[in-house]
Amino acid sequence: MQLETPGTSAGTTSALRERLGKAALALLLVPASAGAADSGAKTQIDYTTLLYGEQGRAQVVEPILRATRLFSDGQSFSLQLGFDSITGASPSGALPSGSFQSRTSPSGRVTTLKAGEIPTTSFSDRRTGLDAEWQKPFGGRFTTTIGAHASTEKDYDSLGVNGKVSVDLMQHLLTVSVGAGYSDDSVSPVGGTPLGLSDGSVVTHGANAKRVSSALLGISRVLSRRWLVGIDVTRFEEKGYLTEPYKVISLVDQVTGFPLDQVTDKRPSTRSRTSVLFSSVYHLTDDVVYASYRYYTDSWKVRSTTSEVSYRHDLDESRYFEPHARFYQQNAASFFTPGLVLGQDLPQFATADQRLGRLTTYTIGATYAFPLFDLPGLWTVRADYIRQEGVGNPPSAVGVQQNFNLAPAVNTTSLVVGYSFKF
Amino acid sequence: MKISVQWWLRVGVVLALPGFLAGCASVKPWDRDLLAESRMRFNPCPMLHSIDEHIYFSKEASMGGQSAAGGGCGCN
Repeated sequence: MQLETPGTSAGTTSALRERLGKAALALLLVPASAGAADSGAKTQIDYTTLLYGEQGRAQVVEPILRATRLFSDGQSFSLQLGFDSITGASPSGALPSGSFQSRTSPSGRVTTLKAGEIPTTSFSDRRTGLDAEWQKPFGGRFTTTIGAHASTEKDYDSLGVNGKVSVDLMQHLLTVSVGAGYSDDSVSPVGGTPLGLSDGSVVTHGANAKRVSSALLGISRVLSRRWLVGIDVTRFEEKGYLTEPYKVISLVDQVTGFPLDQVTDKRPSTRSRTSVLFSSVYHLTDDVVYASYRYYTDSWKVRSTTSEVSYRHDLDESRYFEPHARFYQQNAASFFTPGLVLGQDLPQFATADQRLGRLTTYTIGATYAFPLFDLPGLWTVRADYIRQEGVGNPPSAVGVQQNFNLAPAVNTTSLVVGYSFKF
Repeated sequence: MKISVQWWLRVGVVLALPGFLAGCASVKPWDRDLLAESRMRFNPCPMLHSIDEHIYFSKEASMGGQSAAGGGCGCN
């Protein structure tokens, strides 16, 4: 195996010394693929704020603070506190009315809806989440990670645990990880839980249980001095209330296509999800290329593929620039329908939620990391543009609905500002 | 016979796994300088990754990656 790169004798000696120094650090690392603390660091603080805005839809502000305590024996313990503020509107699931409409709210505010406009429902919510994680290496080649989370919002509470054991094999060239998780969630829709596929007038009060159990098998492998690859298979089993209580489905006239009535959303009470993720990190001469591909399938017959690539270019020792792109495609769930025909028998399950329809998401963005003034640590700014497209003219559309775009593209911009430092 | 993407994926995994596990590359510890860099990780910025997972979970029907943690948000 070649240890040296071509160069002058002095340069080669210096380069070799530098590499041996880094190699000594590498020997101290537990898995080659895992992160480790810089020498001397005891506590790391990470703070980020997400500003997310969909054009004419939802707006999110999400500050997150994480503190990680790094112990000398390789253990680490982290606590993360996050807060989301979500406002705006999301599609109700109903089809365009087909005629110009105006509504007057109790406060006297008049809103108008064009004939082909997608009806939306205004909402506002706040979510607070706390995550904890403890990582401990033992026996030279094992690392355990135990995590827990709790979150609460107006209509949703979650409490969960997860764990993972990783073992390094083949002199740290191969890492095998096995993990599992369990989350006990409860859904308490505002105004009560409507009966599925009903007019929504009958509701039950109280919380609905939703339980998510998961398993993970991951393998990461060093293929060369520059190349690390990994395969991760995850399985999620969801049981309980999986319906979206605020979504509806229009009942249209089978000839004119005008929506005459509507029923509530109803989804199966179980869902099995499987994903296979292939990841690669490749070190070029100076820059690093990250690439991944994920295949996903579930028992609701949703299939999706996600491809991501990013390219990190270090401008100097403390600044880097990283453009990235993501491409996502999914087909529709078996019970997705843009609308139902009035008078026909209702199916067992149905949803008009576009997130379960056929859609494509394009993302393009870039991250810039830099030190600021004499402050310790690193600032990060990331900007993304996300465009999501559904099927605007489905074959099942009837009458007037054929004239409208039933799934207009949603353009989103997001900005993340982060700051990390150690002391 | 209709051959699905899932079938091809399974075949790909079965064919790739032996080479992936055994491999012909043997990177000696003193040759792992590049691998030791903090950026040589699948997710060098865990918080950005976590934000991404949250965003896409709320907009799409899929989930799953490198973590067994699930649930925790009523956004979808």
